[in-house]
Amino acid sequence: MSNQWALLGTGLMNTFDPLNFSMILVGLVIGILAGALPGITMLNAIVLVLPFTYLMGIVPSLLLMTSVYCGGVFGGSITGILFNIPGDPMNVPTTWEGYKLNKKGFVSKALGMAIMCSAIGGFLSALIMTFVSPPFARVALSFSSCEYFSVVFLGLVSVVVIGTQSIGSALISLFIGLFLATVGMDEIYGAVRFTFGSRIMETGINFTTVLIGLFAIGEVLDQLSLRNKGEGEQVRTRPKTTLPRFGDLWPLRNSILRGLGIGTVIGAIPGTGATVASFVSYGVEKQVSKTPEKFGTGVWEGLAASETSINASTGGAMIPLLTLGIPGSGATAVMMGAFLLHGIQPGPLLFSKAPESVYTIFVGMLVCNLIMILAGLVTAKFFSELMRVPENILCAFIITFCFIGAFALRNNMADVWFMAAFGITGYFMRRYALPIPPMILGIILGPLAERYFLTTMIGAGNDFTVFFSRPVSACLIAISIGLLLMPFIRGLLKKRRKGPEAA
Amino acid sequence: MSQNGTVQIESPHRPLILRSLIGPILIFLLACYLYFLTGKIDAPPSPEQLGAAFWPRMILLFLMISCGIKGGEILRGRAKGKTEANLAGAAEVNTLKLGVMIVLVIAAVYFMDVIGFPLANFLFLLLFMRIAGLRKKIVLFLTSFLGTILLLYLFVKVVYLPLPKGQWLFDDMTIGLYRILHII
Repeated sequence: MSNQWALLGTGLMNTFDPLNFSMILVGLVIGILAGALPGITMLNAIVLVLPFTYLMGIVPSLLLMTSVYCGGVFGGSITGILFNIPGDPMNVPTTWEGYKLNKKGFVSKALGMAIMCSAIGGFLSALIMTFVSPPFARVALSFSSCEYFSVVFLGLVSVVVIGTQSIGSALISLFIGLFLATVGMDEIYGAVRFTFGSRIMETGINFTTVLIGLFAIGEVLDQLSLRNKGEGEQVRTRPKTTLPRFGDLWPLRNSILRGLGIGTVIGAIPGTGATVASFVSYGVEKQVSKTPEKFGTGVWEGLAASETSINASTGGAMIPLLTLGIPGSGATAVMMGAFLLHGIQPGPLLFSKAPESVYTIFVGMLVCNLIMILAGLVTAKFFSELMRVPENILCAFIITFCFIGAFALRNNMADVWFMAAFGITGYFMRRYALPIPPMILGIILGPLAERYFLTTMIGAGNDFTVFFSRPVSACLIAISIGLLLMPFIRGLLKKRRKGPEAA
Repeated sequence: MSQNGTVQIESPHRPLILRSLIGPILIFLLACYLYFLTGKIDAPPSPEQLGAAFWPRMILLFLMISCGIKGGEILRGRAKGKTEANLAGAAEVNTLKLGVMIVLVIAAVYFMDVIGFPLANFLFLLLFMRIAGLRKKIVLFLTSFLGTILLLYLFVKVVYLPLPKGQWLFDDMTIGLYRILHII
């Protein structure tokens, strides 16, 4: 234990080395900006900075990438709150509440709350990562495809029961998304599905193009087509960012703690990541709330829970990477590449071969999440300036950024076409009350769900009861069914209470 | 009037309900057609395995069931308030403006490959901002021109993104523009 504290002290000194500290600052700004721009994404930003790490040592490289990671998962919340355009799927739940709070006039406080909850979630999960990595990773290692499917199933159910007045519409949207995820070549058998002879379709539909189209283009078309706007009406006031006081955070402590727990645990499970954590956290928060019907109208608990879980997942995702050499998310997979580039194999031996480096990363993430408060304020101020730009100019450039963002995914115009098609679809989905988030999550989690499901079936000889015979899987499926049934049970209980009262 | 302010209609408005059912019915029919298409997917390598067609079939079945659930909601009148709200909302839309914006987006994507990103983007920004309500010609031109140049510097020079250069003559024009701007 004393050795651990000594290593933490070494890590602290290394973190405040001028080069290392500057990498944290640079990484945070790049991450937040990339996370905020739809289509650019945090993952792309990590990939883009990877080549720059060739010339650096392993510690500044990893500090740069973890800072981009931590900043990037938060960045999408800014544009989500300001413009109703989430930078990444993980920021969708934040958008639901944050944008509504913006419309209610609480934009400054919403931005500040998002920054603070992100920092709290990231900081505490980094602390957890520092002290409980080995036992945490052992639990994650025991998960098989059966448990992974159950976690993904929980994520899909969460998105159906949250934020919708019509379960039927949510289910339709979800299954359309799950179906779209089957287009292209299937992972298990290599069969080509629903390509209609098109070679481009064989690579499938990238979920980022769907996200950009449905949210960004759909939102722009919806905003600009609603009424005639004269040029003089366009200029809007510039919102400030107000950090919440302790008195503002204390009533949300349970939401924050739930978000922290869910984010850290789900982040530690390889293959899930911040998106699942965000939706599950939001769904759980809605279910435990005494006023679930208010969710989607601007509820602080929903914002706090989703924001905390997103950044909490970063610490969780680092646990299996550092202790087992298994990346917990796409971003940590790229970071694993950085390790290998420098000739270091992450895993159990890392702690004995390069303990100073490991603890510098731990301390670096702690410091990064604290500095994120300042970086978040600065970047939010920058994006807030955009609010002064006339809406017609801003919307035109948003669409242009969407074109570029979609093209940047695979340098292929097909993605831009898909994005445009889904953009127009997104507009009509808004008009006819078909919820968008279930479709997004269906496309994102569909391939994972299929892979884990079929792998489980292959291993279990097509015995479906395996999902209920393994304890962790059974618990997760039971929680999912509980979430699905909760609205009906609430309705029944309400009717029963109204019955005697009416009598 | 109900507690949340929506107007409750005592008896369902039949044409409204029928219009609301069109969407789920169309999706149901599409799901049936796609389910039929799953028969063309390669069979599994061995009979014990579920195969590549199993998962999409299961999803499409659930989609059909979901359409049934939605239809039930509409017939029971649960989606009534939202349906009326949608129709009311639709009346506020400037349909011509919407149509032109959609056409502009599609045209921009099409012409990006033909005439290159710089020219296509410049024209898109010019026309879209004009349709969106910006009237001052100087502002329109300068914003479109400078915005395009800035985007080229940022994404082509800094990020090395190979944005479409166009075909034939436009390819040469784009490369010439990049040379003038010292992007390449």
